[in-house]
Amino acid sequence: MKVCDIDGTPLSLALFTDVTNAKELLDLMQAGTLEPEVAFLNASLIPEVFPVLAAAHKTLLAKSRDSLTTRTLHSELVYNYSGSKHITESFKKCGISESSTYILVARFGTSVDEMKAVEKLINGKEIDLEELVVRANQAQIQKHYKITGPELGISSLADAIVCRIAARDAL
Amino acid sequence: MEIKADGKEGSLILLKQGAEARVFESTFVGRKSIVKERFSKKYRHPSLDSKLTLRRLNAEARCMTKARRLGVCTPVLYAVDPVLHTLIFEYVEGPSVKDVFLEFGSNGVVEERMDHIAVQIGDAIGKLHDGGLIHGDLTTSNMLIRDNTNQLVLIDFGLSFTSTLPEDKAVDLYVLERALLSMHSSCGNVMDRILAAYRKSSKQWSSTLNKLAQVRQRGRKRTMIG
Repeated sequence: MKVCDIDGTPLSLALFTDVTNAKELLDLMQAGTLEPEVAFLNASLIPEVFPVLAAAHKTLLAKSRDSLTTRTLHSELVYNYSGSKHITESFKKCGISESSTYILVARFGTSVDEMKAVEKLINGKEIDLEELVVRANQAQIQKHYKITGPELGISSLADAIVCRIAARDAL
Repeated sequence: MEIKADGKEGSLILLKQGAEARVFESTFVGRKSIVKERFSKKYRHPSLDSKLTLRRLNAEARCMTKARRLGVCTPVLYAVDPVLHTLIFEYVEGPSVKDVFLEFGSNGVVEERMDHIAVQIGDAIGKLHDGGLIHGDLTTSNMLIRDNTNQLVLIDFGLSFTSTLPEDKAVDLYVLERALLSMHSSCGNVMDRILAAYRKSSKQWSSTLNKLAQVRQRGRKRTMIG
């Protein structure tokens, strides 16, 4: 688990692989009974922590202005990470599905007890965040964010994602 | 200036102030960043002012990211804040092309470095123009050379727009030519090298350069009659 600071608000991140109960997690989340509330992200689409932080920054800003687009703070994070304006599609692609095994868990706040509770919820192996780089699915990322060859010539995958997250509402 | 509604933003250090915006140095979730704030113009009607400011803010964000998609290096856009009218982007470490050329002017030209820069400029503009993007303010102070990699980074897309007209592309080049002539005439003919690289990079170079010859004769503005 790692805690990042976003302009004063802590964001806890934990990466899990070989998760076997994604369906259960999905059901809990959709029923709104997930305790504590967290965001589950499809980790294959995450090559680095930084784009998640950019999405979190955007989420907190919207929250501070009471202008969340989705129902909760944590669903907003998933929606913002997608770089798309299509909410359902964002949850499908950047959230988890019944068959997900590789998941990044994010929660605003740092209570150790809460993160312990989260770890208990997930049947999987927690791994270091450094693993994101090697485990990311480049083809899937390029397809989802529509990143072409010329752009990759001057930019890293993570930077290209950050630009899309930032510019979404300007388009 | 009011800083972030939630007051959480790190310290802001004013770097530059222009007619349309102020530029600050700050940090964005742990990375050094630039904050560009478009301020309101008190002489405009408030509703018109906010519309214009917001439209230009979004246009700049769009053009910056479009340039990247065309393979032209620009700072990474970190965030757009439509409420405070700010853009937050990557802090690029390195001198501006203006500073590099001015130093060439006073201490003598380093041919190899000069060539490398000119080729990158021509190549970048060619890519932008072929993608239908006009920078609108091509001057040497809007080009940076990244430390270590010596990569050219174009900045300030505040006057950018999309167009495929040879006229707009030619004027874009003409603005650069005038800027080079007035600032860096002691560096020799940089424009020729830039145009040679442009020719290789842009597929539509021929119509643009023909138009450029016309623009040179009449100036940047089309003759207005009546």
